[in-house]
Formats: sequence, structure tokens, C-alpha cells
Amino acid sequence: MQTITLKLKEAVRSGIAAVPVEVDALTPDQLFGKNEAELKAVKVWWGNREENTGDLFDVSVEGDAGNAEEVKIVFEGDLTRVKRIGDGMKAGEIEARGDVDMRCGAMMEGGKIVVKGNANCWAGREMRGGELIIEGDAEDNLCAMYRGEDKGMTGGKVTVNGNAGELVGQYMAGGEILIKGNADRLAGLNMRGGKITIESDAQWPGSDMTGGEIVVKGETEMTPSFKFVETATVDGVEYKKYLGDLAMGEKKAKGTLHVK
Amino acid sequence: MVEITDVVCSLCGCVCDDIVLEVENNKVVKVKRGACSVGKSKLLGHERIKSPMIRENGELKECSYDEAIKKSAEILYKSRRPLLYGWSSTVCEADKVGVELTEDLGAVMDNTASVCHGPSVLAIQDVGLPSCTLGEVKNRADLVIYWGANPAQAHANHMKRYSYVSKGYWTAEGKKGKKLVVVDVRKTMTAKMADVFVQVEQGQDYPVFSALRAILQGHEDVVPDKVGGVPKEQLLELANMVKEAKFVMTFFGMGVTHTGARHNNIVNAIQFTRAAHLHTKASIMPLRGHYNVAGINQVCTWETGFPFAIEMARGYAWYNPGELSATDLLYRGDCDAAMIIASDPGAHFPGESLKHLAKIPVIQIDPYANPTTEFADVVIPVAVSGIEAEGNVYRMDNIPIRLRKILDTDYLPDEEILERILTEVRALREKEGE
Repeated sequence: MQTITLKLKEAVRSGIAAVPVEVDALTPDQLFGKNEAELKAVKVWWGNREENTGDLFDVSVEGDAGNAEEVKIVFEGDLTRVKRIGDGMKAGEIEARGDVDMRCGAMMEGGKIVVKGNANCWAGREMRGGELIIEGDAEDNLCAMYRGEDKGMTGGKVTVNGNAGELVGQYMAGGEILIKGNADRLAGLNMRGGKITIESDAQWPGSDMTGGEIVVKGETEMTPSFKFVETATVDGVEYKKYLGDLAMGEKKAKGTLHVK
Repeated sequence: MVEITDVVCSLCGCVCDDIVLEVENNKVVKVKRGACSVGKSKLLGHERIKSPMIRENGELKECSYDEAIKKSAEILYKSRRPLLYGWSSTVCEADKVGVELTEDLGAVMDNTASVCHGPSVLAIQDVGLPSCTLGEVKNRADLVIYWGANPAQAHANHMKRYSYVSKGYWTAEGKKGKKLVVVDVRKTMTAKMADVFVQVEQGQDYPVFSALRAILQGHEDVVPDKVGGVPKEQLLELANMVKEAKFVMTFFGMGVTHTGARHNNIVNAIQFTRAAHLHTKASIMPLRGHYNVAGINQVCTWETGFPFAIEMARGYAWYNPGELSATDLLYRGDCDAAMIIASDPGAHFPGESLKHLAKIPVIQIDPYANPTTEFADVVIPVAVSGIEAEGNVYRMDNIPIRLRKILDTDYLPDEEILERILTEVRALREKEGE
């Protein structure tokens, strides 16, 4: 097992503006096999310029890895302007110690990311596999699609211990999302597959859904175009089962919404 | 005195092109016909920025065009993340140079759509837009719906020229043969003219659209007695009006793009238009604000593939409103310099975003002084497009119209200023490379 620790230098955050650093080049699969000097020379984008990882982060390496699965990257320091942590990662593990910026775990295919704080918008965007755990809150567009795409998350598992913003799993086609707190407006909008569980409240979940399943355990403000089917039991708890969204027409309304 | 006909108004997205002016001694002395009161005020002219200026020790000091352009290039070239914002109140030719400058600098480029109909653009990317031209509306529409919009006060010529009041080929009786529906949170001036006024609760447009769609799809049984503050009977009445009309035209404004579900309100409005197609012909169009906001979306799209909120930092275009839109970028404090052209964020942006804009170096390119001037570090006055400079613009229905030059001026047009800044930026890069 190898642990690569990348601590953002304070100087990066000391300017007049908070220009974000994009770290999509720093995933376990891309860093596997590099020694410390090589790691420090990996280029990352900071605004419109490419910089050496070693100039923006304090880098330390411990242990050895036989493959990318055995590589763990720990991000430290102020990560609120560090974008694309684990973007496109295929294997290994990332731990982000603090609040992270946008697109954490976007396009992720495998491995595991743990965010020990909040995640800004588009975490898990179009995620395909692997696991993403956000210990704090997630902002808008969690596991949604890129603008104009017709598929959001297609696989993998996401857990948010806090609340989630708007449009959780928009255009979701597969995979699982668990929100332990509330989900803001329109969770599962245009969803066609997969499952979203919201342990607290939700507003207008499942609008325009054509497939998949949403379970809301708290209060639900319903979209007015769902059809009540029956009282159903999920994991031993009784729910009202609705089919929808009938605004899409009867043929397409194949989504299931379980509410209290 | 000379009378000039067919003058094109460069104020709002209506781009009225039938204005008659009187000009004497290189000055517009009278607007005889065609313009609304707001357009008239612009055509008659008002106080201008007299000279280029650079801020020194907190005071704006007059300087030459050369000095202001050089200073602008230095600010932009030095920046790690410059924001180039505005672009809607100038012509497409200038916008095109703006895209080139964005690419050269690796900048973020955004236009006023992002605080206006940007949400509509997002919706169109999700579900398309069954739309038409304003000419088609004038000649065919017998049911006009204004949703979250108040054209009687904001687009004063719109109803007269293109919709409810206008007389067309199949609408020869004008408003006598038409129905007007207004959906809004309050009884606006437009709502007072309406046959049916639907008062929706603030932020509740989304479920109202969903309910109307379900009814038009034949599922009125699932719709509850009241949706978003609107009684079910009124929703059924509105759905019936849609079914009975020959041509339904929905126009929408900021009342739906910036409340509640925002861009998904527009997705739902477009889907409502589609559901109406099960019964009749229907079309939908955003009421665009600035006269060329549709044009900058066109230029950005054909140059970069995307209409607004674009970043070129990595040498290719990345598009993401919410991440790269000017208000968000400034709110987060993400950019370290800004160039503001043909718009006034000082008057329109949220306070938190402006706080950052006031902190970083700002270049302003505009004919008129406005709240943005108060914190700009370089101010470059320009010719007024459509009065002192010509060029192409796109009307709200994406019809290109050429603005005319009516008066002579010593002010340089936007396009030339931008080209000169770009040349200076390239010279700085070459110098550094040596």
C-alpha cells in the first residue's frame, strides 16, 4: 500500500482571487509507478497556466504499491478551490480532508473517494462505477449529467451523510444514491434507471421520470402529475407507491416513487 | 434637416426596424414614428463618457485611447483567470473579436444571458425548442400567453408589432380575434389587458406546468384541486383554451427563468408546448432583453460550440453555467481581472459578486457612464452601435438584422477597440518570448 499526501500550499490561496486548481491529473491510476520527483513534476492547471504539482502542493510519499489499486492519495489543506478531485479515476483510493470544490468524482469509473467535509456542485457527475462517500453536504447537481447530455450517473454508489442540493441524479440511468438528509428541488429529474433513497425531505422528486426508483422517507412535496397505485412495503416500512411522471405521457411514465 | 426612415432600434430584443428619425447637424432632433418611449430616449441620446480614463490613486484621469488600450492589454495578459463579460449591447462583429481575445488569453467569456435567459438556453439544450419567427406569431397566433413577463412595460412595442394587438394575414381583426392569457405572481399592466389572468404562487410555476401537461396528456384525474395556488378549474379552463386555439404562442420572461426551479421551469414550459401539439399548433419563445443578447449567443455558439459561460483556459472551450457564469465566478472570487463590455453588472449583479468585482482590476468598454464606471480601473468610451456604428444583431426570434450608422463620431467602435487590445496582448506575449 502506498500513500501519497498532497497538501495545498497556503500561497496558492493568498492572492487577490481564489483561482481554482484543477487536479484531474492526480488520480491513483495516473500517479501509480511515479517516484517523488516525478510526482512533483506532474502538470496541473491553475487558471490559464500549467504548474508543477510540487509548486502548488507539499508532496510526501510513504510505502510502495504493486498496482493502482494499492495507491491512496490524501488531499490536505484548504481544498475549497481544488476542483476535479478524482475526476475520471479508475482504481485506488482518494481521501479529501476538508470541503472540496466542484466535480469531485466526476466521470469516476472505479475505486473509492471519501470526502471528509462538504462537496461543491457536480460531485459524481456522470459517474460510471466505484464508490463516493461525502461525509458532509453535497451541493447541486450531485451525480447529474453534463449540460445537455441525456445520461447522468450510470453506475456506482454514492452516499451523502448530510443534505444534498438541487437536481440529485438528474437524467440518472443506473447506480445507487443514498442521501441521509434532505434533497432540494427535483431529485431524480428525468431519471430513467437506478435508485435514489432520501432519508429526510424532498421537493418535487422524480419529475419527468421515465424509469428507476425513488424512496423518500421524510416529507415530500409532490409534483401534481403522479398516479397513486397502492400502499407498498419497502424494507419493512409502509409507503404510498406512485407511478410517473404522467406529464411525460402514459407510455413513458414507468418511474416508481415511494413516499410516506 | 434630414428625415431617415427604416432606422433599426438598438435597445431591446424586439429590434424594431421601422423607425423614422429627423437628423440635424449630426444630431437626432426628433423620433417621428416607430420607437417606444424607452427606445426613443436612447435614439435621442444622452450624456456620454468624454474620454478614455485610467484610475490613479482612486481617481479616474483622462488619457488617450492608446494609453487605455495598452493598460487594458497589460491587465488581461497578466491575469491568471480573466473574465470577459457583457457583449449583448454591441454588434456580432465585435463579439467575434471577443471570442478570439478569449481564446488568446485563456479567459472565461460570459454574456448577459447568464443573468437573463441563460436558464432558457439550458432548457433548450435539454429538450429542444419548438419555436418560430415573430412574423409567424403576428400572422397566425390566436392564443397568446405571456408567462412571467410584462411586455406592456418591458418590451413596449412587442404586443403591437408582433403578438396580441398586431394584425396579420390570418389575424386581420387584431386583438378582437385573439385571446390573451397572462400568468404571473401579481396583476401587472399586461395582466390587466388579459382575457384570463392566472395568479401563480411565487416559485410554483414548475408544478403548474406539470399539471397542465398531465391534463393535455389526458390525465386530469391525477391533478389535485389546487396546484401552485391555481385552482384546478382554472387549469382545466386554460387547457381547454389551448385545445380550442388554432395557434398557441407562449412568451416567457424573467418571472419564470429566475424563480423556483429556474431553467427547469423552462424545460417544463417547452414540454407544455409539446403536450399542446397533441391538440393543436403551438410555439414558444423567450422574450430576450438586450438587442443583441441572442446574437452573442449565436456568435459564441458558432465560434466555440457553446452559447455562454465558456472557459478557454486549457486551449479548448469548456462550458458550464453555474461554474463559469459571471455572477458565480465573482461570487466565489474565482477570477483575478475582468473586462466589462456593453453591459452594466454594477447595476445588475448581486452585491456579493460586486464586492469581488470592485476588488480586482476592471476594464470597462461602454458608450455611457454607469454604476460599473464607479469601480472600473480603465474606462474606454465607444461609438453607440446602431447610431454611430453599424453591424449585425439578432432579434429575439434569432432573425439577423443589420444596424445602421446614422451619425458621425470620433469615438471608436467596439470592434476596433477589441482588435487593438488583442494586438497589444499578442505583442506582450511576443516580447516575453524573446
